[in-house]
Amino acid sequence: MPFTPRFVRALTTALGGRSVRDRAERLHFQDAGHGYDAFGLHPDFVALGDVIGKPGYEWYFRVESHGAENVPAEGPGILAANHSGTLPLDGAMLWVDVLRRTDPPRCSRALADYFVPSLPFVSTLFARCGVVGGSRGNAQALLEAGELLMIFPEGVGGIGKPFNQRYQLQHWTKGHCELAIRHSAPVIPIGIIGAEEQMPQLARIPIKGPVPYLPIPATLVPLPTKYHIYYGEPIPLHEEHTPEDADDPEIVRVAAARVKAAVQALLERGLSERKGIFR
Amino acid sequence: MISVLVTGATTPVGERFVRSLVADTRVRHVLAVAKEAPEQALPFSHGNRLTYLSVDLGRSRHVRELLFGPARDLGVEVVVHLGQHRSGFDRGRRVHAANVEALRSILDLSDRHPTIRRLVLKSYAVAYKVSLELPVLVREDHPLNLSPRAPQYIRDRVEADLTACARMGLSSFETVVLRCAEALGPGTGSQLYDYLDAPIAFRPMGFDPMVNVATIEDMVVALEKATHGSGEGVFNIPGYDTLPLSECIRKWGTPSMAVPGSFLRPAYNLRHRVTGSEFEYGLNRSRLHLGLVLDGSRARDVLGYVPSHPVDWPIGGPVADPALDHSPD
Repeated sequence: MPFTPRFVRALTTALGGRSVRDRAERLHFQDAGHGYDAFGLHPDFVALGDVIGKPGYEWYFRVESHGAENVPAEGPGILAANHSGTLPLDGAMLWVDVLRRTDPPRCSRALADYFVPSLPFVSTLFARCGVVGGSRGNAQALLEAGELLMIFPEGVGGIGKPFNQRYQLQHWTKGHCELAIRHSAPVIPIGIIGAEEQMPQLARIPIKGPVPYLPIPATLVPLPTKYHIYYGEPIPLHEEHTPEDADDPEIVRVAAARVKAAVQALLERGLSERKGIFR
Repeated sequence: MISVLVTGATTPVGERFVRSLVADTRVRHVLAVAKEAPEQALPFSHGNRLTYLSVDLGRSRHVRELLFGPARDLGVEVVVHLGQHRSGFDRGRRVHAANVEALRSILDLSDRHPTIRRLVLKSYAVAYKVSLELPVLVREDHPLNLSPRAPQYIRDRVEADLTACARMGLSSFETVVLRCAEALGPGTGSQLYDYLDAPIAFRPMGFDPMVNVATIEDMVVALEKATHGSGEGVFNIPGYDTLPLSECIRKWGTPSMAVPGSFLRPAYNLRHRVTGSEFEYGLNRSRLHLGLVLDGSRARDVLGYVPSHPVDWPIGGPVADPALDHSPD
């Protein structure tokens, strides 16, 4: 059965109900003429992502979020979060949370690693839900179009971090700050609590293929840890710097360190507030 | 009032462009050139504002005789070069001469020509590199496909494009390069048209990239704007329709089947051998897996070009509101 938008619309109406359809219909996106944007996003597939994410969001990880009002209702913005958990479920839960907590609903555009568009089926579903390959050109085009980017500055280093380094931010890339300054976008720091314990990683085997390594987790399926997502106050780098400052490596380095510190502070707050890994 | 020399005048885009020039009151005379004999070319009424010549542009002497003969006598000011070999399977020195050396000769001779002040080259989106680490939405500074393993069809187009670009700012005439999306239509050399025109379209399983397709009408509009404009540069010329490959196939009315990628090359090679079809999998492998959509912001801002002619889809019909501005920006 081909997954045409009509089929997906019927499926999401049956499975997701009125609230999911309502979010899909109110979603703001730049229609390139046939119901898709230039990167392949389609609102009906966003609704499908919403439906697929629902069991994990509501029942398995029981996501609670704090400070979602810090996500701008319109205009460009960069969500910068910690990344962990062997499988990118933290990205999926954050994507669902932003979709549900913003009014009108916003579909955050996750920047995926280069290998993701080479994965069959996954690449297509991700593209329909707004994920784009992590190239600078894609990020620039989306920010210029006023979209909300979701970036994990730790990248693969974060998702593959060993269990004993949980909640310790790994190498923090700086590209998100350069983009924020150049394209006048606020950075919203985000701390995700819960994902770092969901699938403790024992080892990783480097492989040649579409993915860079094969993880060896301690559990076959993710543990039902409780997710807490903390949105920090927007960091207005664009108000403190001119777009030309994006060419200054020192300014970008300091800005990235500031964002990293803000995310670390949110993680520490979240860890101190939670009652347990599963609560 | 200007006089215009059009090469490749018997191609579908060339013929429509010549028709529009003949009807254009800003154009004094059109000198149309192609390989075909005059009795086979341009079967439409044109009064005395059109001269057609049969010329083999692959021979530099013929180009010289054209530019310093009829073109000089008619006071040609703008050259629009559309003449490129359209088959993806033809290879060799003669094809290269038609694709690249002809343009090189035109550029060399135009530099010392007494009347030519502008050259417009119709280039192709196929010149762009498609890769995992590159953006889907392609601007003019996107890397070109310079791979030595690329088929001659692509290498020639990239070389011609770069040959024209290398002249910008250094010649006595202005150079404009239009990197155009594929115009869906028979005889345009569109690989995608041949792909869609097959009894069944095989798609790589698990992939459904975004494609942008154009119409001959929009190509003609872009060429008109480049002909009458001023200044020089490289411009992406996208089409009106941006959609996933599967949707494109569906709207075309072709049955499709998703198959493992390894099956596609032998299947399309076999189809070419049996039916003589033009679609070559090697030319299209990347774009059947990864999206490429031209960003037409620069053409919109500088040339005033906005795609406004949707494809007349056999099944899907034209999109609802053609007045909408769908140029990706």
